[in-house]
Amino acid sequence: MAIDRNKVIEQMSKVSVEANSDGLIPAFNVLVNSFPAEFWNEFTRRMVDAVNEDIVDAVEELFVNAAHECGYHTGYGIITSKEWDAIVKPMVENTEDILHGAYAVFTAWGWGKAEIVELKPNERMVVKVDDYYESDIKDSCAGKKAPRMMAYMIRGVSGAFMDLAYGGDYDPTGESAMYTFECNQTKGIETGDSYGEFVVEKRNES
Amino acid sequence: MSLVLDKHFDNDRCRNYVNDILTVLHCHHYATLFTQLAIDARDIVNGTKILYETSEDIFSKALTDYFNKNNISDKNERLKLAQEMFSAFGLGKIEMASLDENGGLVEMPVAHIDDGWLQKWGKFNSPVNYIGAGYIAAMLSASFDKPVRTYTVEEQESKVTGAAKTVLKVSV
Repeated sequence: MAIDRNKVIEQMSKVSVEANSDGLIPAFNVLVNSFPAEFWNEFTRRMVDAVNEDIVDAVEELFVNAAHECGYHTGYGIITSKEWDAIVKPMVENTEDILHGAYAVFTAWGWGKAEIVELKPNERMVVKVDDYYESDIKDSCAGKKAPRMMAYMIRGVSGAFMDLAYGGDYDPTGESAMYTFECNQTKGIETGDSYGEFVVEKRNES
Repeated sequence: MSLVLDKHFDNDRCRNYVNDILTVLHCHHYATLFTQLAIDARDIVNGTKILYETSEDIFSKALTDYFNKNNISDKNERLKLAQEMFSAFGLGKIEMASLDENGGLVEMPVAHIDDGWLQKWGKFNSPVNYIGAGYIAAMLSASFDKPVRTYTVEEQESKVTGAAKTVLKVSV
């Protein structure tokens, strides 16, 4: 692997993300926001808590889809940005390097210390994530433990990263090349595991 | 006094902090999809109320914490700093058209949620800026030392429905 992960994290974490005079943060071809992490966690927890048990799965899927779409468009914005070109691109030799680089940027953005631990190109990817902000959701749960794995953002973004790598040319409408992969969470800090584990595989269309 | 933003990246935990608040970067796709999720859930849960109240609660804590740590007690100064913090979060721009402790009007000529929604989907048949409205409620309660839920903030006009700017009515 050609990616110097620590170097990418160190340099990408120093990229300045400042609001302009309109109070917007246009960067990476999207409008960026910099909210307290607790906002995202708390809305997620309250929504999941508020619905009947029989539709929790459906609500969870909506959160995953929101992140998948975000990850697809913002992920593309990142890997085509001038910051990527300056910091990561010189280390990239193949598609897999782009994925490793993307998770280094993921880490630098403060989403969690994410690293690919298994990768079968265009088939399967396993990502290990330490100290992800979504795991803080446990602090608002009874007994400091979430009743279910709730890292919906990481699930969505990880599926999107595989779409970008192997799903075909980027489609700004998201209609043709998005949701070719899906991600399931198999371990969660929020439920008592020592790290989060995420398995991305081709989406079963049946 | 202008807003002071102490930003730092914790190299060990790889987490971003602004004035000791853990923050994360996300995009308008994520924020507007959360909003759409809240709207679409109307038949099963009051998602927009949850979104508004979550925004009010979280931003109220952020503002109150800032005012306390920096010993800021002047109400007008608090409002001005809250206005600046709105922009620092990337939420857009607030103009306080006519606002005091009893309520009034707030305008958003630019808003992350509204402009992001328009960029992503175009116009919609109802206002969508529940996150921004929650922030305004937080701004008022934190500035005037009131508990959350003291103020009610509703969009009177919305860029998303075709208005030139978003206008929010604040009442007690």
